[in-house]
Amino acid sequence: MFNKTIIYTINRLLNGCLFGLLSFCPLFLSAPLYAVQITLNVADVAAPSFAARGIKVILAQEGSAEFSIDELHMAEKIWRKVHVHCSEFLLSSARVTCHKGKLDAIPDLPFTFSYEFASQRLELRLTAEANELWQVNADFRAQPWRATVLLRNAQGKRLASLLPPNGPLPTQGALNGTLVVHGDKAGVSQINADLRLTDLAVADMSGLHAAEKLQGTLHVDAARTGQTWSWRGALDWQGGELFWQPLYLRGGHTLRASGQWDNTQLKVTQAVVNLPGVGKVEMQALWDVKKSNLLEGRLVGENLSLANGFADYAKPFLEKSALSATELKGFVDVDWHYRDGATQALLIKLRDVAVVDGEKRFALHGINADIPWHAQVQSMAHVAFADGELMGLPLGATQWQIQMRGNNFILPTATLPILDGKLEVNDFYLHNINDTWQWNFSSTLTSISMQKLSTALHWPEMHGSLSGSIPKVSYQDKLLKVDGTLLFRVFDGTVLANHLELFDPFGRAPRLSGNLDMRELDLDLLTRTFSFGNIQGRIDLGVNNLELVNWLPVRFDAKLASSPGKYRKKISQKAVENISSLGGAGGVAALQRSFLRIFENFGYERIGLSCALHNDICTMSGVEENGNAYTIVKGGGIPAITVMGYNRKVDWSELITRLKRVLQDNKAVIK
Amino acid sequence: MNNLIKFCFALFVLCVSAAASAQVNIEINTPGVSALKQSMQTRHAQLAEFYANGAVGLTSDGMVALRDANTVPLAARQKVNGLVAAENQDRKSLYAEIARANAHPEWEGDIRNTFAQRWIQRAQAGWWVQSGGGWSKK
Repeated sequence: MFNKTIIYTINRLLNGCLFGLLSFCPLFLSAPLYAVQITLNVADVAAPSFAARGIKVILAQEGSAEFSIDELHMAEKIWRKVHVHCSEFLLSSARVTCHKGKLDAIPDLPFTFSYEFASQRLELRLTAEANELWQVNADFRAQPWRATVLLRNAQGKRLASLLPPNGPLPTQGALNGTLVVHGDKAGVSQINADLRLTDLAVADMSGLHAAEKLQGTLHVDAARTGQTWSWRGALDWQGGELFWQPLYLRGGHTLRASGQWDNTQLKVTQAVVNLPGVGKVEMQALWDVKKSNLLEGRLVGENLSLANGFADYAKPFLEKSALSATELKGFVDVDWHYRDGATQALLIKLRDVAVVDGEKRFALHGINADIPWHAQVQSMAHVAFADGELMGLPLGATQWQIQMRGNNFILPTATLPILDGKLEVNDFYLHNINDTWQWNFSSTLTSISMQKLSTALHWPEMHGSLSGSIPKVSYQDKLLKVDGTLLFRVFDGTVLANHLELFDPFGRAPRLSGNLDMRELDLDLLTRTFSFGNIQGRIDLGVNNLELVNWLPVRFDAKLASSPGKYRKKISQKAVENISSLGGAGGVAALQRSFLRIFENFGYERIGLSCALHNDICTMSGVEENGNAYTIVKGGGIPAITVMGYNRKVDWSELITRLKRVLQDNKAVIK
Repeated sequence: MNNLIKFCFALFVLCVSAAASAQVNIEINTPGVSALKQSMQTRHAQLAEFYANGAVGLTSDGMVALRDANTVPLAARQKVNGLVAAENQDRKSLYAEIARANAHPEWEGDIRNTFAQRWIQRAQAGWWVQSGGGWSKK
């Protein structure tokens, strides 16, 4: 009986394997006959997609068997030191069976195996606690041959060793369902899978691709004709959460898809995805399997909700952009065509969309747009919005027609209402060079009320207007440049701003530089606006090399002087006191101090003060130099007063603190 | 001729000593530096727990990185991503701002290296820091 069995086994091995080196060492041990044991050593066994080295089989007389394999290669995986124990092993000419089998790698999953040689039927059952079952039934004699895998409460973590170690691996959860595979001589010809996932958890080493408590069903039917597979699938993701860097999604998605696959290309002829809270998206794709890239793609969605759509699927990719804190509302139709490594067309329709920046830097409401963009064909976009806000400035309703061709966008004329004025834009040109967007335009700013502007920007209320002609505004590499001069009419005088540059306008510390030239500002209006104590007269103020960081001055050369011409020159006792208190103890002194308490107002001849700010130190001088001191207010008329400064170097932060205190105190007095 | 050589040598020594004495003030304060530090300080309250549990570590190039997201609940991983991106944006701006405030924008790289060492030195015990391409727990 033994001899017959062993010879048969050798034949099976030689028939079934392309290569094998078998050494047969029946060892009749020195023990008595009832303890006989047979050891088979098989050096190598190899076949397509299967190889084993160092196989050793020990058959004990009481019916058990031990199998050990030094190295097992199967389906591109390698297992080392594989050890199988069969408590009841039977090998006959009719069948081979292993009852109460145990694999060292999965000791908690005992198995039963049987294979009938004549009928070529295989059965493998692995069972464990909690009603867990992995069962394989195969009939290799049937035409086509068929194998069925039945899973019942099958623990997903057992698949971890079969999956690529760098990808997400299952750690928890169960699978239920069936997998039916048919095949012929050419291999697998048909696959039908019906699986239910319960509380499945997967994670990769970094945690950047992970899912927890996944619930859902997966149904796949695939059939091969020649080299091409036709497939159809349905995924119903009912619950759980998924983080797939940078996306975080919750259950509620469904996918129905069908297509073909032929080893080189995966074609999705039709796919419909239901995105919860967003809408239905239809897709088609052609994927190059070997190069792992998209050859062709199309995505169509109608009436998609932007509130969830943007937050869930777009914003996570915009963390480093100015849109990272943006919220969108409204609805969009989208039709995207992709081919030859680039987007060929993107047709977008926006309906009642709102874009709001979380940091309140910009907002647009009531946007309706039709943007039929094509890479190669010129087209026209129509964009309209109801109102908006930019850096605190209210914007009014407008509509634009934008010419589009590839990455070039031209807006010949446009109007942007700002408060009670408007910015007339000409030749707005937006284009992309080396993956960097840049734009420029020329414009005219028609009169904006300074009263409205100062209220909108939460400044002290000012009167006058702001207007200007701007030959060119350009934006490139985070730098906004204004070529030309902005004209403000404030405090009954003029302010000219030129060489303005704003770097990183939406960054944490925007930097503004430029020059200001102010002429004939009415000091009466100015001092009343800023509650400084009254001064009557007119001043010119030049501020060159101005640099503001985060809207605070870090550098400038400023020079303030009484304007030329004849006008009333008076300074109030309060203003003198305030100027004195700005200088700190001993910093400024009003000469003829004894008169202070007698008169409300004093005459003066000239006012002058200059400050060169550098490294937070203001280096000061006045209208006249008097040794170490300098004259800020030179007295004139009756009663006159002269105010002197003694500190040449003044700490700018300290000066601002004092100024704020003065303005605050004066406000309190007014109340 | 000798005098000319001596003069040139003296000029050379003067230039070298002047260059050597040019030191960066990394404590310089400008409104930009102040705004960035304030922003980073506010964010630190949110990032601290992720430094402590090892999700976020300090890199050797003066940035922060998401090194092990497994310690963070799935729903919070996107938030950590956002915090890391914003922190790195601020850090990059801070190095550039300090270099610019020192009137040497080209020093940004050196300032970044100095800060990288500082952050790592000042990291609390248990935080993860990067050195030599690998991560270690401080």
